[in-house]
Amino acid sequence: MNKPPPSLRRWVFEPDPNPPASRLWLVSLLAILAAFLASGLIFWAYGVSPLTAYITVIQGTLFDSTGLAEVLRRFIPLVLIGSGLTLAFRAQFFNIGAEGQLLMGAVAAAGIALFVPLPAALVLPTMFVVGFLAGGAYALVAAVLKARLGVNEILTTLMFNYVASYLVIYLINGPWQGKTVRGFAYTDPFPPAAVLPTLPGTLVHWPTLILGLIMTVFLQLLLSRSVLGYELRVAGANPTAARYAGISATKVVWLVALCSGGAAGLAGVGEAAGIHQKLLDPSQISLGYGFTAVIVAYLARGNPILTIPTALLMAILFAGGDVMKVSLQMPFRVIDALSGLLLLFLIGSERLVEYRLRRKENPQ
Amino acid sequence: MKLRWIALAAVFLGAMGLAQSAKLKACFVYVGPPGDYGWTFAHDQGRKLAEKALPWLETKYVESVPEGQAMPFIDKFVKDGCQVIFTTSFGYMDETVAAAKKYPNVIFAHNAGYKRAPNLATYMADFYQVYYLSGLMAGALTKTDKVGYVGAYPVPEVKRHIDAFALGVQATNPKATVNVKWINAWFDPAKAAEAANALIAEGSDVFSYTEDSPTTIQVAAKKNLLAIGSHYSPMLKYAPNNVVSGQIVHWDKIYIDFLTKVHNGTYTNKNLQNVDYWWLLSHNAVELGADINMPINPKFIPALKAKMVKDSAGKMVSVYDLVMTQLKEMSQPKPSFDPFTGPLKDRNGVLRVPAGKTMTEEELTSMEWAAPGVVGAWPNEPK
Amino acid sequence: MNELLSVLGQAVAFGTPILLAALGEVVAERAGVVNLGVEGMMALGALAAFATAQTTGNLLLGLLMGVLVGALAAAIHALVAVTLRANQFVSGLALTALGLGVSGLLGQHFVGSPLLEPLPGAEFRIGAVLLAIGVWGVLYLTQTGLILRSVGENPGAVDVMGISVVRVRWLAVLFGGAMAGLAGSYLSLSYRPAWVDGTTAGLGWIAVALTIFVGWHPVRAILGAFFFGLLYHLAFRLQGRVPSEFLLMLPYLLVVVVLSLAALRRQQGAAPEALGLPYKRGER
Repeated sequence: MNKPPPSLRRWVFEPDPNPPASRLWLVSLLAILAAFLASGLIFWAYGVSPLTAYITVIQGTLFDSTGLAEVLRRFIPLVLIGSGLTLAFRAQFFNIGAEGQLLMGAVAAAGIALFVPLPAALVLPTMFVVGFLAGGAYALVAAVLKARLGVNEILTTLMFNYVASYLVIYLINGPWQGKTVRGFAYTDPFPPAAVLPTLPGTLVHWPTLILGLIMTVFLQLLLSRSVLGYELRVAGANPTAARYAGISATKVVWLVALCSGGAAGLAGVGEAAGIHQKLLDPSQISLGYGFTAVIVAYLARGNPILTIPTALLMAILFAGGDVMKVSLQMPFRVIDALSGLLLLFLIGSERLVEYRLRRKENPQ
Repeated sequence: MKLRWIALAAVFLGAMGLAQSAKLKACFVYVGPPGDYGWTFAHDQGRKLAEKALPWLETKYVESVPEGQAMPFIDKFVKDGCQVIFTTSFGYMDETVAAAKKYPNVIFAHNAGYKRAPNLATYMADFYQVYYLSGLMAGALTKTDKVGYVGAYPVPEVKRHIDAFALGVQATNPKATVNVKWINAWFDPAKAAEAANALIAEGSDVFSYTEDSPTTIQVAAKKNLLAIGSHYSPMLKYAPNNVVSGQIVHWDKIYIDFLTKVHNGTYTNKNLQNVDYWWLLSHNAVELGADINMPINPKFIPALKAKMVKDSAGKMVSVYDLVMTQLKEMSQPKPSFDPFTGPLKDRNGVLRVPAGKTMTEEELTSMEWAAPGVVGAWPNEPK
Repeated sequence: MNELLSVLGQAVAFGTPILLAALGEVVAERAGVVNLGVEGMMALGALAAFATAQTTGNLLLGLLMGVLVGALAAAIHALVAVTLRANQFVSGLALTALGLGVSGLLGQHFVGSPLLEPLPGAEFRIGAVLLAIGVWGVLYLTQTGLILRSVGENPGAVDVMGISVVRVRWLAVLFGGAMAGLAGSYLSLSYRPAWVDGTTAGLGWIAVALTIFVGWHPVRAILGAFFFGLLYHLAFRLQGRVPSEFLLMLPYLLVVVVLSLAALRRQQGAAPEALGLPYKRGER
């Protein structure tokens, strides 16, 4: 038998000491595609053709005015929280309590709207300021515990989500329950001065949208153009070097907690004043924006400005889930399955960035 | 953009019967997943039965729509050519009102609310009579004189049902109390289980509940205690030896009636201002039952027959006969008996319904007081 | 006295599923891997157990499937967070979403058809306590336990000894998933023998909280689980006197308090040193 001579060159998969930046994006893109393929399997198992599903989603979100408005509405809390979180993650402060911080923002908004007499023109600005402070202060508790005692902030912020949720349930069933709601667990509706305007015919509360966009730009500038931002970057990338450079780790942690918690608080004000116009059950206020924003921030790789495209992607997913619910009569759990898969593929693929595929001379 | 308007126009033409589809399209907004085996499951059953019964009907639904966020789904439904839209939760009230204004040509029906418009009706299949009958049996069957009730939220609907239940319990067993635990959730199996366990620990031995899962029954059955507990859907199969009876809803009765009247032109987008379905036993919209067509689990009939009580005329009858007579009575088109007929005092002794008066729908849907025998927290209890 | 016993009985019943799930999490975290996917694994386990028991009529087979599927779900976490060294916390969150999503989707056919003859609960309760003691025994009295704990404290040293850190962590995570699956099976085969979407109702998260609350100690987990059960029970017993919400939020607040106190005493709450850190040979 005549065997062909072994090739002198072959493909190898090997660690790459200096991975180019572009590979990160390529791998992420491939991971997203793979996640969609995998969720296609779930759709197929459920009895819906994956192709139909994706075509329906794209048509129903990007090529439909209602759908587009729905994407935009989801984009608002995601970009706000996401941009704050990029900063936090960059500083190695893993705040996964945005859900709770959002709720604290909503509580603050409701408190101002319902119980503080203010001139009409000042109501909304006050709600946003106090909402920012409430969300920020809530995150700050975790930051203080981390900076002073070294308590793991992931665990504390996670636990604080539940505390905030029960606080809201207590308020709407107890002291803040509305007089006009027939015993249902809501506060009274906000007075008109405390309601955010929306784009006509949609739930897009545009002032919060603008706020979100300003936030991303502001945080990006803070990060890349200010001394604080420099300290933050150094402290995040190399804590030891930061200490030698005289950068206060405490200050950095406090700053990012305030920014990320505050941004989530703003999102809470937006949801309360723009969509619900009252305080209600926590599961209705936030649809898991705090957790989804973790994906948004993660994808943006530490650049607040990049949360604009990544929040858009997740917003399309959110709105797309709704389209699947209506057009394909699928259960709401579709969204959970999809975002879970997406996140797993994205973080799982991370490691691949450090490798390269190369043709190598065969030593034989 | 232009093309879309043309498409939209085509949909409207289609709706008017000029184009391909002559079917009436009815669309449903659900607050939970049909997988809850509770509130939304029952609505979805109603939708399916209506679709089966009416060959000219086409339906669509969307599940787990958060409160305050129904409008985009309604927009989508209207775009898809839905002519009738049902919103199936109290929490959608203000949005449905706004949607009715936004789409004057579409017919809306809102479940459990009280705001109407020319193109917006309201509907409710209410259980209070059934709860009264359930209470009669619970009072007769309790050995500890403590009956347990797991309540979702302290809202008038649930309070009305607990009160009716308590009036029934006290009619057959004046010593018995109805012990209430609230879980502040419509659906939460973990909390419902613990609330039921707390009631068991405090001595209750017969249970009823308002929560969207069969949990309370299963917890009771584990201790071999009883449940008058088919809530919304038949639950006999969840505990064949422990479910005595229950409250089953037939939303299809309302859906079929309403849609038929829309189809034949009785209801239009101009004349719904006063259309309010408040359907009770007499409309077969609700049913007393351990299972469909089984008002009482046969296993418990002997015990109920053995227990004798005085009826309203002062005659001794068995609880079984009392339940069946009153069930028959309240199933008449114009029942002469109603549990909320005065004189009725609340648990603090304040007269709430004067002698000779029967509570109106308006009073029932906003009632806050607690009936005698009710024990436990009662938020917003009137002084 | 009777009253006290009944309250304790309830506390134990509620504590059983969270104890089971927490034991798994204790083992995984002792090996240095945080898995926030407990809620998702529990939901998948509950559905798998129920679906199997329902279709085959064999409860024990159902239990086995629940455990297996729990472990299978954990394998995703092990692959992503151990082998591929991704952020453990994010991976766990994703697993919870995936687990709740997939179980909700595939569980639809099983809604409304209960199990007529559920598994008895007493065996689970006793079994959970015995398992806790067993886990303690393995962790503290055996070579295996020593290796496992070392992997969580100082993976580099274990690696030097020629033991594969990745393999130990994989096994620990799989065990964690199996226990979460077991907890889910207890819910769907015994405690509330039916399938409803959302049946886990946050118990998985309470298990995560419990793991930290008891300082990663399996025997203390028994007491902790019953203490949480007690709080949950009292939330309903004391209704009208104390707002339930305060008692229900207490476990989560207590976790923060316990973590802070431990940190104050500079013990790190007995947290494994390498908890949450991916291990790569040559680093550290």
